[in-house]
Amino acid sequence: MIVVTGLGAVTALGATASETWDRVVRGDRALTELSLFPADGYRVRIVGEVPGMKREGPDDFSRTSELALQAAREALTSAGLLRSDAHALDARERPKRVGLVVGGSTAGMLETESTLSVILSPEGTVDPEVRDEALRRMLSHPLSAPTDRLARELGPFTRVRSLSSACSSGANAMLVGATWLELGLVDAVLCGAADALCRVTLAGFNALGALDPEGARPFDRRRRGLTLGEGAGFVVLEHAEGAAARAKDAVCTLLGWAAQAEAHHITNPEPTGDAPSRAMRAALARAGLTPADIDYVNAHGTGTPLNDPMESRALAAVLGDAISRVPVSSQKGQFGHTLAAAGAIEATITALAIANGIVPPTGGLEDPDPECPLLHVRRAESRPIRAALSSSFGFGGMDTVLVLGRADAAKSASRARRKARSVVVTGAAVVTPSGVFSGLDVADVPDRATESDAIAYDIAAELDIDRARRLDRASRLAAIACERALGRERGAAVDVVRGAAPGAGHDGDAGVVLGNAFGAVDGTSAFMRRLREKGARLASPADFPSLVPSSPAGHVSIYLGLTGPTLAVADLATSGECAVTQGYELVAAGETDRIAVVAVEEKSTIVDEVFRVVFGPDRRDTSAKSRPLRREGAGAIVLAAEDVAVARGLPILAKVDHVLSWWHDDAAIADLAPPPGGASGGAVVVIGTAAGAIDAVLARAGWSECRRITCADRAGSHEAAGAIAVAVASATLAKDSSIDAVLCVGVARGSGYAITLGRWRAGSS
Amino acid sequence: MQRDDLKREIKQLLVRELNLTGRDPSSIEDDAPLFGESRSGGLGLDSLDALQIAMLVEEKFGIRVPEGDEARPIFRSVSSLSEFIGKERDAKAGTAPNG
Repeated sequence: MIVVTGLGAVTALGATASETWDRVVRGDRALTELSLFPADGYRVRIVGEVPGMKREGPDDFSRTSELALQAAREALTSAGLLRSDAHALDARERPKRVGLVVGGSTAGMLETESTLSVILSPEGTVDPEVRDEALRRMLSHPLSAPTDRLARELGPFTRVRSLSSACSSGANAMLVGATWLELGLVDAVLCGAADALCRVTLAGFNALGALDPEGARPFDRRRRGLTLGEGAGFVVLEHAEGAAARAKDAVCTLLGWAAQAEAHHITNPEPTGDAPSRAMRAALARAGLTPADIDYVNAHGTGTPLNDPMESRALAAVLGDAISRVPVSSQKGQFGHTLAAAGAIEATITALAIANGIVPPTGGLEDPDPECPLLHVRRAESRPIRAALSSSFGFGGMDTVLVLGRADAAKSASRARRKARSVVVTGAAVVTPSGVFSGLDVADVPDRATESDAIAYDIAAELDIDRARRLDRASRLAAIACERALGRERGAAVDVVRGAAPGAGHDGDAGVVLGNAFGAVDGTSAFMRRLREKGARLASPADFPSLVPSSPAGHVSIYLGLTGPTLAVADLATSGECAVTQGYELVAAGETDRIAVVAVEEKSTIVDEVFRVVFGPDRRDTSAKSRPLRREGAGAIVLAAEDVAVARGLPILAKVDHVLSWWHDDAAIADLAPPPGGASGGAVVVIGTAAGAIDAVLARAGWSECRRITCADRAGSHEAAGAIAVAVASATLAKDSSIDAVLCVGVARGSGYAITLGRWRAGSS
Repeated sequence: MQRDDLKREIKQLLVRELNLTGRDPSSIEDDAPLFGESRSGGLGLDSLDALQIAMLVEEKFGIRVPEGDEARPIFRSVSSLSEFIGKERDAKAGTAPNG
């Protein structure tokens, strides 16, 4: 049984979880005129802005990371893991292994916007030195930057993850934290998410016509959209036994969780609410509960014309008769829609609702829409809540539902932990400048290296271009790789299966994990250039959704009709290995039977320019035909639970023997088994991007004498190369019978990954 | 500009800006429905495309397209869109000084 032992939140309503909660209960609303940056030309300037924030800090300071730090520190302190006089975790205190999962969507976009304003200035108007300095700052704020800052300032953490699934990121951070506990990878985990207001999101939602000029009014007949907010929410999760051992009372329990995808549209919710219903049912099943056990629903309730009726239909379908008894509310009319942070902040509110026995209201709701026939809460009510649902739905149709329960539930039912499922690789594909490879041909990829860094062939020809027209380049590369890894024909038609339960076993039941280090850098730059030059009224509504870091994952899910858990992860140069690790965890923990794992990097003029400034010898020497600093491409594998793969007759390329992930403290390498047959046996090391630190890992683990295959050398760095390496490893095992084991290692900055694959034999486990 | 030229321009704009790669602008029927299923002879566009078209019309022609239900008949087809743009442009020209 997983318990919540610490909470932290920062919102426009309050600087702490309890301050936010007190004002939520009072029905206060904190939607005001934006003051953070000038917003001339925007239709709507009402936001939920957090007052009194610090404006500067370390090099990687961002408003988002500052929000995250405040809420994370509060959560750790209230969990008793951080003494109020200390700045960071005390490693001598229990629990020993503390993980960190951070969700986000904008990361340091607000700060990047200022940097871009220098970079995008017309030539000759900015001193080249100043421009170079801006370029050096340009990549300081990838999705993983707030996570890095938290890890540095609050750690040591033993396992760290940065993820995005747009507006369900916060809920998915808890889902991932819960799977880590279930898989025994950590003893406690700090999970949450943060997002600060910025021009890109305000202009984007403004262009989509999704902002209510009078402030969000969820479920109201007059509602016209959402109000953007900002903030952070964090919780500490641990096993009930762990909390009991250190005499820590729980706030509540985390009983269930589930993520499902709509595979419908990049911005619009699928109108029947099928995916939210599937996620609610699966989360209830995981909790071992029925609708009769639920006493409150904390809705996604954005206040957009499309979300609220869709969500009401989904709730009616799942709750059945209980719909007339179960109060439903949303706080997005009080502190706004905090995007990635929403699921995390709302989980803290749901936790406090349960702990206090108070149902919080829907601020801003006056005239309930008959299209949303729910038991609305106009004023806070005292009533016992045995268990509650908290729903979060993200752009691209990534829907996650959490079930929280009373703290005493931990005493009554000590549910056995699930055993990690055995996982196999059922497909592999790679897209590189030399071509598209799938199946066993993927083993040849390292021999087919080219000098060229960008893909010159027509990738549109590899897709059903009518359906792929909205996909940006990264999404297209990812979609091609996933389609082939799934063993589908080029551009094969897709019929999305709706109404089936997760695990029902259809071709589209797989989820998607996408690894990508920097996001849509050129897309963001083009969007900002337009915003600067033409104003907010002419910001592109169609281009905006592709700027969300999880957008390529959503596009892949939609293009391929995949309805399982869908999210993106980022970890700089090891984003590929990180994606494989994330996909493995979701299958091993039973969150999905199958998942397409893909990592992708697109050619970016800005990233290339940054790399030249940061790493290049002399970027002004145009005569030197320097080797590319970075290549584009994608690597994909499909992971499946072994029993499912066998039952469904899927082709099995390899078995995943061991997945190891560490953060700074590489003591975890001790868990890495040496090559089964010794160095001279059939063991091979496959590396994505070569790095000096990898040699040390191989030496310590006893793999340094094994043959090494490198997919992208240092001169052609590739943040997705780790996924290409695992695809190559899988195909090599299936193709070459002299090889029995392959180790894939990736190391970057503080993080390291080691993924061991073995030959799969029928009936071997 | 004649209405036929305007229609041609709109078709080219749609193909280019909505990434309707592989579609010849001249193959778009003047009265074909822009929205709904592409199988029934329409372009298969959706509400996100409508927002994009409204933004493009404002950018290229300096004309604001009304929001909400009022916009529906305007977005029906290339014909209705050119009718709207033409009328608005004429109205503008009519009120311009020395117009």
